[in-house]
Amino acid sequence: MDGAPSHVDTFDYKPKLSEDDGEPAPRGRGGFGRGRLFGSPFEFSQHGKGGLWISELFPELARHADKLCLLNGMHTDLPNHAQAFLQMHCGLFQFPRPSLGAWVLYGLGSENENLPGFITISPPRNNGGPANYGASFLPAANQATRIGGFGFGSGEQVSNLRNPRRNLTTQRVQLDYVQELNRAASESLGQNPEIEGLISSYELAFRMQREFPAVLSLSEESSATLRLYGIEEPRGGRGGFGPATGGSATFGRQCLLARRLIESGVRFVEVTMGGWDHHRNLTESLASSCAAIDKPIAGLLADLQRRGLLEDTLVLWGGEFGRTPYAQGDGRDHNNKGYTTWMAGGGVKGGIT
Amino acid sequence: MKNAAWPRNDVDRFLLAALEAKGLSPVDDADRRTLLRRVTFDLIGLPPTPAEMEAFVADATPDAFENAVDRLLASPRFGEKWARHWLDVTRFAESTGKTVNFSYPHAWRYRDYVIAAFNTDKPYNQFIKEQLAGDLMKSDDPKVRAERLIATGFLAIGPKTLNERSGLKFELDNVDEQIDVTTQAFLGITAACARCHDHKFDPIPQKDYYALAGIFRSTETCYGTVRFINAQRTAPLLPLPKEANPVVGVPKQTAGERKRVEDQIKSVRDSMKKMKDPIQQFFASGQVSLLQARLDAYDDDGSPKLLAMGVRDKPARVGFGGGGFKGKFGGSAGFSNDGSRSIADSPIYIRGEPDQPGDTRVPRGALQVITKSPLKLAPTSSGRLELAEWIAAKENPLTARVMVNRVWLHLFGRGLVPSADDFGMAGRPPTHPELLDHLAHDFMDNGWSVKKLIKHLVMSHAYQLSSTAKAGAMEVDPDNTLLWRMTPRRLDAELLRDSLLAVSEQLDATPPVGSVVATGGEGPVARRRFGADPIAAAITDARGTHRSVYLPIIRDSLPEILSLFDVADPALITSSRPTTTVPSQGLFLLNNPFVLRAADAAAAKLLKSSDAESERIQQAFLRFYSRQRTAREQAGDWGENQSGGAAANAFPGAG
Repeated sequence: MDGAPSHVDTFDYKPKLSEDDGEPAPRGRGGFGRGRLFGSPFEFSQHGKGGLWISELFPELARHADKLCLLNGMHTDLPNHAQAFLQMHCGLFQFPRPSLGAWVLYGLGSENENLPGFITISPPRNNGGPANYGASFLPAANQATRIGGFGFGSGEQVSNLRNPRRNLTTQRVQLDYVQELNRAASESLGQNPEIEGLISSYELAFRMQREFPAVLSLSEESSATLRLYGIEEPRGGRGGFGPATGGSATFGRQCLLARRLIESGVRFVEVTMGGWDHHRNLTESLASSCAAIDKPIAGLLADLQRRGLLEDTLVLWGGEFGRTPYAQGDGRDHNNKGYTTWMAGGGVKGGIT
Repeated sequence: MKNAAWPRNDVDRFLLAALEAKGLSPVDDADRRTLLRRVTFDLIGLPPTPAEMEAFVADATPDAFENAVDRLLASPRFGEKWARHWLDVTRFAESTGKTVNFSYPHAWRYRDYVIAAFNTDKPYNQFIKEQLAGDLMKSDDPKVRAERLIATGFLAIGPKTLNERSGLKFELDNVDEQIDVTTQAFLGITAACARCHDHKFDPIPQKDYYALAGIFRSTETCYGTVRFINAQRTAPLLPLPKEANPVVGVPKQTAGERKRVEDQIKSVRDSMKKMKDPIQQFFASGQVSLLQARLDAYDDDGSPKLLAMGVRDKPARVGFGGGGFKGKFGGSAGFSNDGSRSIADSPIYIRGEPDQPGDTRVPRGALQVITKSPLKLAPTSSGRLELAEWIAAKENPLTARVMVNRVWLHLFGRGLVPSADDFGMAGRPPTHPELLDHLAHDFMDNGWSVKKLIKHLVMSHAYQLSSTAKAGAMEVDPDNTLLWRMTPRRLDAELLRDSLLAVSEQLDATPPVGSVVATGGEGPVARRRFGADPIAAAITDARGTHRSVYLPIIRDSLPEILSLFDVADPALITSSRPTTTVPSQGLFLLNNPFVLRAADAAAAKLLKSSDAESERIQQAFLRFYSRQRTAREQAGDWGENQSGGAAANAFPGAG
């Protein structure tokens, strides 16, 4: 969730904050000593056997409360998007480090040699850009392949998947020739890791042509499944400062695609949605952002479960930090001192905070 | 130094001393073909032609390499290659980006200015001053005046949030962006961190930031665009002196076209009268505004107005507001809610919040830590010229070092300061500090000539080494920080595309006039996604044959070949690009229509070149790789029966 979603309006219930709504913020925080506490405008209630407190912004997801493990004690070093976004992915922002997905792929390998093992869907181009899904000092093959353009809503297509004239057999002959040249170039430099990475990347590209188009296509999914992910919902409003969120259809398609990728053996999939930087107009814009992800995420959890994938698929939800309990106009400012990330599946104990 | 015979110039002596201190020695020299290919890519961004290569290989005179270097430095293609590096740093783009993406139809003038500056070897200190304060530099020559106005486009082409509701926030954000690009590009430091608090790592207090902010807040940024729906933050553009006879980027507007637009305006206005819904009217008035812009871009006789993006000083504030020119106007005088209207010092904004100005104003000035005495600024001038002179002064400890490091980075694959965009404490220390100092002094003593600096570096022995790995050295220094060999590098996106055009003999080396973005006029970029859209067509065009530096650079909509191969993102200031290796690149080279076209064109040329198969293959090797077939390649049968396309797909390495 690029932009840092508010935890105090979603998963971190603060009854005392609601009680003290409008009081001066303690220790002169916010507004240069004039900050006011801002009780969440949203209702919280308890869900599931575990009685998790979840706000009304997530009616669908709340049905899966017993799958969720809420981590409300998250913190990060700096309340700046770029640094925190990198730290969330790579552990550090000061120096280049492999992304979490690169580590996981490096450690566990992939289950499908015809697809990239680490895929990121519509990542932001700022906040460190490709460094957030890079391999850094790990072998280049561990970096993520991007699907769609940069930024939320930029589509899910992968271009150049088909050659308009050559079939795979003749293309194989062609590629053999290219790879021969590449190997010769690598040998002449004394085993160059970048060219070695390129050779395996070409091979993967070739194999992807066979399998990827079918995995990317949602046409075989039933309309019940599409509804489950909120893909057939009407288009909706805008979230925060980011681009139009387009209701839940865009994020729904991306979550469904994520499931298809996981099902096909891709090791690590990241789906990014932007527009969570709700400095202004929080009541309306946060509701709109949450509406865009509620059904898709609930659908993903339900779908993974019914396919028996949830027990060994870890679902991780979060943003780079949270937001302040005091108001900034009619929104909330950055807060790196405490916020929520949640996990589900993958052996995680659900229904607890 | 043990191996006194090895160094060819002072660069080599510094490098060899460091190598020998670690018990290392340089590898052998690159062969002549590799060397000419390397220097041709590095200097002009294209592969050598077979004729150039054969002539060089046959030239046994001692000056052969130097002559080749001089030839390349004199080529107009040189500026096209090296301008691109500078355009990365100056986040050049032809649209605002951000929430609502509007085009900058005049941004190409700045691009062409930078290309010309590298081609004419404009002294770098002059280059700095023109970009920061060209409008304030006096000249009787209208051509020079026009050029300097265009140069200040440097400060105007940044990303902008045109739908920002607060005028003050919009101003402070743009000033922040200008401070960021100025301090990063010229000084290699990130002063923009001090907007909200004293810099966490470097000795830049928040006060310094607002001293700079005062200078830029006293400056009017002229970037154009039209009022449309919620994009209300417009600005004028700078008129260029007619006597300068500047290049005209778009054709004349015919009387017929003018009439058509006028009729359209009339019909929208008529329909507005019938509209009851104020929202409908609002959108319709936006439509009128866009159409009106298409008229306003031309003089009455249909000639396009001669405009540029850039900056100029705001008016000096004289006579009222109290406090005179001491930088204290009291209250909010000097600034309106919409930002500043005149030359004035800026208050510190506590934690960078526009609604939290501090009580005192900071005198406009430069960064204290590298200033001997504060800048003396006239109350009637923003202080940009003085700031530019302070940056471009020999006494400034960063300016020359930062530029030398940039040039080094592009020739050796890694800067002497590896963090080329951060010379501060959070960056990384130089690997060869004395060499950096030496080169910086040399650079200034040679009149800040970039061409002389480049020649100096490529004439070094170190530049001419092979890129082959050597066992012992690989263990001691795997990253090649001590430069015991030439670091193998991948071609930049532009070089890959240009090479495909060059080896298939499709390249049209004539620079195009203007930009396709200019022909689209002012307005939102996305609007044109529907219907005939010259910009979108140019972005996806597989048939373009001009060099890549002339491709349209729309923020968030870069041409695929550029974005796939790690082009600099124009939302950011980029000193060195990342290098990613992902299968989507392989897919592009296997299947993209642009690549297939290049393969076809190359194959057609080869088929015509000879009737003999083996001769054609020989020609293919010479054209694509600048070399003969090896024995191994001749022995295999995979070289025969393949079209040129396969070869064009091979690893695009400069070697």
